Amino acid sequence: MVTVKDKESTNVSNRKGRINMDYRKLSEMIPAEKWAVLSDKLIDLILTSKNDDRMPSQVANVILRQWQNESLKSETGLTALLQAAILLEPEKVVVSLNELQMTNVTEQVKELLKS
Amino acid sequence: MTKFGIEFVPREPYWKIIYYAIQAERGGFSNLWVTDHFNNRNVYVTLTATAVYTDKITFGPGVTNPYMVNPVFTAQAIATLNELTPGRVVLGMGAGDKTTLEGVGVEVEKPLTAVQEAVDIFRKMTGGESVAYNGAVFSVTNAKFLFKPKGQIPVYVGAQGPKMLELAGKIGDGVLINACHPKDVEYAVNSVREGIRQGGKKPDDVDVAAYTSFSVHEDLKKATKAAVPVVAFIVAGSPGMLLERHGIDLKKAEEIRAALKANDWSRAFSGVSPEMIGAFSVCGTPEMCTDRIALLLKSGISQFVVGSPIGSNVREAINLITEKIIPQFKT
Repeated sequence: MVTVKDKESTNVSNRKGRINMDYRKLSEMIPAEKWAVLSDKLIDLILTSKNDDRMPSQVANVILRQWQNESLKSETGLTALLQAAILLEPEKVVVSLNELQMTNVTEQVKELLKS
Repeated sequence: MTKFGIEFVPREPYWKIIYYAIQAERGGFSNLWVTDHFNNRNVYVTLTATAVYTDKITFGPGVTNPYMVNPVFTAQAIATLNELTPGRVVLGMGAGDKTTLEGVGVEVEKPLTAVQEAVDIFRKMTGGESVAYNGAVFSVTNAKFLFKPKGQIPVYVGAQGPKMLELAGKIGDGVLINACHPKDVEYAVNSVREGIRQGGKKPDDVDVAAYTSFSVHEDLKKATKAAVPVVAFIVAGSPGMLLERHGIDLKKAEEIRAALKANDWSRAFSGVSPEMIGAFSVCGTPEMCTDRIALLLKSGISQFVVGSPIGSNVREAINLITEKIIPQFKT
């Protein structure tokens, strides 16, 4: 028998799954030559954020694995960093993307934040 | 070669500490210490995560105490960690922070005896012995692990007062000295060496570490701003004798103490003077910090531990230490 709690839990995991897909699409829009500089900015936003409690442990673990393997500047690394940074510091992410003149990505992030 | 250690406080979430741990390992730090206070996240869970994500850095609690955690449990936790990462684990053991312990109803009685007995029990248990121990503080009737602990695990004793420093030199494989100023380190090292002599060891047998409050930034003002809150708490908790050694006005120290007690942070922090910063932290630009570390090394330490706050931006500070400070001490 499926309980209310089970349904809630399923909804949460679906939301996370959808969000992951959205972030994957976002990172695919970022030109490879900007991966390093954006990765650096996002890491800084995440590590200096006061909103630690918004970090999902699954995302944190992906970031740590990527850092351990020195691949935070890859597309997979960026996907996790984008997800974490947008959850922790959404407004600052928009500012950073604007600074890097990634207008189309900024617009997509704003859309994501509205939904 | 000089060893560099780094301290983390698990008030920060595990993912920040592990990020910095990986960064520190790559940057040339040889030791990582995680503080143990009941009101932060658990030290052994944090150390386990550290073990999984790093490859070579030596790590351990810096420091645990025998009042809150029974030494048999400490031995079990450390022996298990040493199975996970053989040869990379050390124990840091001290008498604990009186104020924090009193907050949970734990009385700090006979600290010298408690630490000595805890280290004895730890070594016997991690040595795979069946332990019957009748001490003045701890009593173990019949304890033995149902698994075989691997290897000998170095024990560092955290110490500040002269008697604990002596004991640390006598029984420890290492000593963690809470001091930032050459005067204090020199004073402490003399006591440690007396203990080493009593223990029939050579000075090089014991790794003497200065566990410092550290703050580095290219901009001196930013480095100082980050150090001020930590120094305020150190001043408030320091005995008069120590303050006088550094020419610090006892009245000013009392004002800081009163302000902290009243949760008046701005009054407390504004009372911190440059003399206090100089006495109770290693703070400044990379060049200034390098000069201070060189002085501390001359005072007889073999490991320099970078402790809280590390810098206004920890990631940047670790990069500065890695790129501009550690290379100065590679010989």
